[in-house]
Amino acid sequence: MDFLAEGFRRALALLLSGDAEVFGIALLTLKIAVVATVVACGIGLPLGYFLATRRFWGRRAALTAVNTALAFPTVVVGLLVYGLLSRRGPLGGLGWLYTWQAIVIGDVLLALPIAAALSAAAVQGVDPRVRRTAETLGASRWLTAWTVAREARFALVAVITVAFGQVVAEIGAAMMLGGNIRGSTRTLTTAVALSTSQGDFGLAVSLGLLLIAIALIVNVTLQVLQGKGGG
Amino acid sequence: MVELRGVRHRYDGRLVLNLDHFVVPSGAMLAVVGHNGSGKSTLLRLLALLEAPTEGDVLWDGTPVPRRPSPALRRRVTLVEQRPLLFRGTVLENIGYGLRVRGVEGSEAYKRTSEVADQLGLLSLLDRRRHELSDGEVQRVAVARALAVRPDVLLLDEPASSADRAATGALYRALSLERAERAARPLTICIASHQLEDAYRWADDIRALAEGRLSPVTPENLFRVELPSGSGDTKHARVGAIEIVVTTDRTGPVVLAVPPTDIFVSRERLPSSARNVLSGRVTRVATHRPGGGVAVTADVGVELVAIVTAAAARELALAPDAPVVFSFKASAVRVF
Repeated sequence: MDFLAEGFRRALALLLSGDAEVFGIALLTLKIAVVATVVACGIGLPLGYFLATRRFWGRRAALTAVNTALAFPTVVVGLLVYGLLSRRGPLGGLGWLYTWQAIVIGDVLLALPIAAALSAAAVQGVDPRVRRTAETLGASRWLTAWTVAREARFALVAVITVAFGQVVAEIGAAMMLGGNIRGSTRTLTTAVALSTSQGDFGLAVSLGLLLIAIALIVNVTLQVLQGKGGG
Repeated sequence: MVELRGVRHRYDGRLVLNLDHFVVPSGAMLAVVGHNGSGKSTLLRLLALLEAPTEGDVLWDGTPVPRRPSPALRRRVTLVEQRPLLFRGTVLENIGYGLRVRGVEGSEAYKRTSEVADQLGLLSLLDRRRHELSDGEVQRVAVARALAVRPDVLLLDEPASSADRAATGALYRALSLERAERAARPLTICIASHQLEDAYRWADDIRALAEGRLSPVTPENLFRVELPSGSGDTKHARVGAIEIVVTTDRTGPVVLAVPPTDIFVSRERLPSSARNVLSGRVTRVATHRPGGGVAVTADVGVELVAIVTAAAARELALAPDAPVVFSFKASAVRVF
């Protein structure tokens, strides 16, 4: 138990002293998670709305594909993006392997099915009269979608929260695509794994606490935003 | 003018609407009456351009509407559903929704919103949210929201279903007022209702729907019966506690329709050629029908509605609970 307590003491000291490396890792993690969540939700939420509201040939197959993609192992996604970005891959010319952009691509592929599948379910749960009423009052397609989204806002904020949670806590793709390079692509999750394997338990705990704090702050912010305006 | 031509509309292969020709003339106050499931709501959704018919055309001023109507055309017609839904936000925000999506904001939006809110007696409720309103109030807010966008055609599905009598009266008075004020660009109103009394009282024209088809008479006088087989053309159909004599060669399950204008109304039994003479008591008298008619509903073993002139209603002193005799010929009863 001493060693656990010692870990927490060291973590507090590191956090309170404002260790530059620790905060650099935290900022990079936040940047990757925010960019990946924005991109994944920017594509996934409209895709989910489309799948939920339009009737077209192959819709059921598309929904099944999206739902299946929810269970994609992160290392498989990492492997796929690695293949694309490696020097001999089709996107090798970008030179993005072992950069934070590569981690973002992997995270987007992991969060996109979450955003699409869960938002489709959220929109399907909205009373069909919302759409009909918006349409009959003259709303354009976009305004109708916006009206439906407003009615489903609790569920949609939950979708964004889950997507963010997925990318901020993700390690497989971050390790394979970022390479855990110190000062460049080291994220909180890869740093926790590394410092644990190196026996630096205090550092690992402090990084873990930071990760939880980031998740907490983002969740609280989203909840405050969705609460505005009342029912 | 909105028209349906050769419309067959199906849900999952089941035919729910079958109308060769249905016209809503410009500026009309039309009531479509029928039982639940008669196709009224489907008819309104087609007229509202929310759905395209499986077969046939919707025509607007004589021009067929494409399967995906233009937003400009769609904005000329508005439907208020039977159980209307209010969006998140206040009553004021709800009434202003259609104006906001049209880019009408600021003082003009406020002026139009307050005008319709005043017409429908909603001024004291403007800050309320949907969970703070009764069903009747929700219905009035939905009507106000629809009127605020000044549509050419307003479609109302059972507008009085959740309101009390006084509120219903206020609603219809507001609609009449709105029509009168808009003489330059007449407002066409089409109401689906199963409450015949309201229809008679407020509408200029009444159409009845039965099982997706236009029926020649109003639904109160429609009866599903089983006609006995037999050689003669005169058949006795059992309807509730009474028997109706009809002239038809049909047998088996049919719908009988007794046209309300073909019913002869008297205070006592009089010698006549009518084969159907039914005594009972008046249950309702709906006056003020445009065109001068009075709808008299009586319980003669079943509920029947007859239309008489206002003068005849006065002379016969037709009032609730008065004894009355309804007579009609066997050949007046339509069978389909």
